[in-house]
Amino acid sequence: MTDLKDSEPLIGSYSHGETLSIMAASRPARIKACAEALLDGLGDVDVLVNRTGLAMLPMVDTVRDTAFHLGEVLLAEAHIRVPERNVEGYGAVIGRDLEHAMAIAVIDAAIAAEHSGELVLEFLDSEKAHQEEGDRERLRKVEATRVQMETF
Amino acid sequence: MAYVATRGGERAIEQSERFYRGDLGIITRERVDAMREGLPYLIDRLMGEASLYEPDLAALALAQAGGDLYEAVLLLRAYRTTQPRLAVAEPVTQPDLFTVRRISAAFKDIPGGQILGPTLDYSHRLLQVGVLNGQNYEPPAVEPAKEPAPATQPSLAAWQKAQGLIPDHPAQTVPPEDIPDVTREPLLFPTSRAHKLQSLARADTGGTLALGYSTMRGYGSVHPTVNELRLAEAPVRMRHPRGTIFSAGRVRISQTEVISKARELELGFAATFGWNEVKVIAAATLDLASNQPNPHPASNEEFVLYHTEPVEGSGFCIHFKLPHYVTFQSSLDALRRVKTDQQEAAIAKAKPETEMQPEEDEVLL
Repeated sequence: MTDLKDSEPLIGSYSHGETLSIMAASRPARIKACAEALLDGLGDVDVLVNRTGLAMLPMVDTVRDTAFHLGEVLLAEAHIRVPERNVEGYGAVIGRDLEHAMAIAVIDAAIAAEHSGELVLEFLDSEKAHQEEGDRERLRKVEATRVQMETF
Repeated sequence: MAYVATRGGERAIEQSERFYRGDLGIITRERVDAMREGLPYLIDRLMGEASLYEPDLAALALAQAGGDLYEAVLLLRAYRTTQPRLAVAEPVTQPDLFTVRRISAAFKDIPGGQILGPTLDYSHRLLQVGVLNGQNYEPPAVEPAKEPAPATQPSLAAWQKAQGLIPDHPAQTVPPEDIPDVTREPLLFPTSRAHKLQSLARADTGGTLALGYSTMRGYGSVHPTVNELRLAEAPVRMRHPRGTIFSAGRVRISQTEVISKARELELGFAATFGWNEVKVIAAATLDLASNQPNPHPASNEEFVLYHTEPVEGSGFCIHFKLPHYVTFQSSLDALRRVKTDQQEAAIAKAKPETEMQPEEDEVLL
């Protein structure tokens, strides 16, 4: 697998990191349907890893800039290989949904193989818009709670 | 060495477990989902103390434990041991936080402003007893602002450091894999700051509150004010095999700085999984107190960190209800021996006096 600079667009205007982040935050049913559709023409898939496990999450404290561990997050991850196309795919998502992780890995491999680019791009655009709308609605509620403190 | 055997115990133990689980009833997916959706702050507290973020598993642990928080923490910590560690994620910094609540009680005009977020801080706390009579309680919806708040908020501490109000400590660059980890190394004293903050992040909320409250009330030299309190979502950034860093999702976290003036302005810090304001305010106070010269136990980091570990503390407490007959029998034997020795000594002491008696009698005669 070749190294990628994350700032380089990989598909459409999306960098590799953006595609993976959008997929991890995507709706499970949507991403699984997209991966199913891609699998038809992608070729045989070897599953290298599909499991749950832990990621330790460090944080940097704001007082002394000390990095410390907040705790562990349960993740599902999948790593696959598509020998016919000589590509690999990887996905990880918080939680225990192994199918979601596998769907990310399949789409990641499809992007690497430049397979069904339009379908993938349509999916990414749709999920990104959905996620941004969700965040925007939440942040409009947050903004409604802004206060100005006065002293008398 | 001696052992205790419980005759007929196997059947009784099985029946007692059935009794316990039978009282809780059938645990269904619906019950677990209802707990996760209806008790998010309890789920948060549990995940923080278990040091494992997975809301479904936390809800399941609560359901299986019938709401016994220590039992649920134990279940989650035990589950954690069955899972491999895949990676250490990229460290979260304050500018990464998707912030929904951010306030300061010390400074009213802070960069980015004050945002109350979801809170009951300024609300009446009243039971909606009508619910028990069949009237659903449906809270009024938020009237959202026209424009969204910024997703991230600037760091107040960074601004204070730039103003020279608080010391700016040089950043310690440590590769994520080399950050000290109390789940893999023993907690030794004096402890590293990384161990202390990790221990406080997974500490028992009640224990942290009790000790933090004691310092707030005056048993320590720290009189804290909340410098900044945040409720936020932190990205879990993983590394793809090609080297690309991406977010695998967000987790809810709380973070607090408290500020106190001794000789100069000083800050204490704490953060934990989930939204748990009481814990982080108390823990940040303990962080600050542990830097002060004070003989009170709540200012002693060894005392604080050893006595706020929920699994060790609750486990040690409840182990006292398990059979201690041999230990106790040994104490009882010792007690009886001492009593016998005392009685014999008393008799021996009394004997010479008795022997002296005739002489006294003679004198009296």
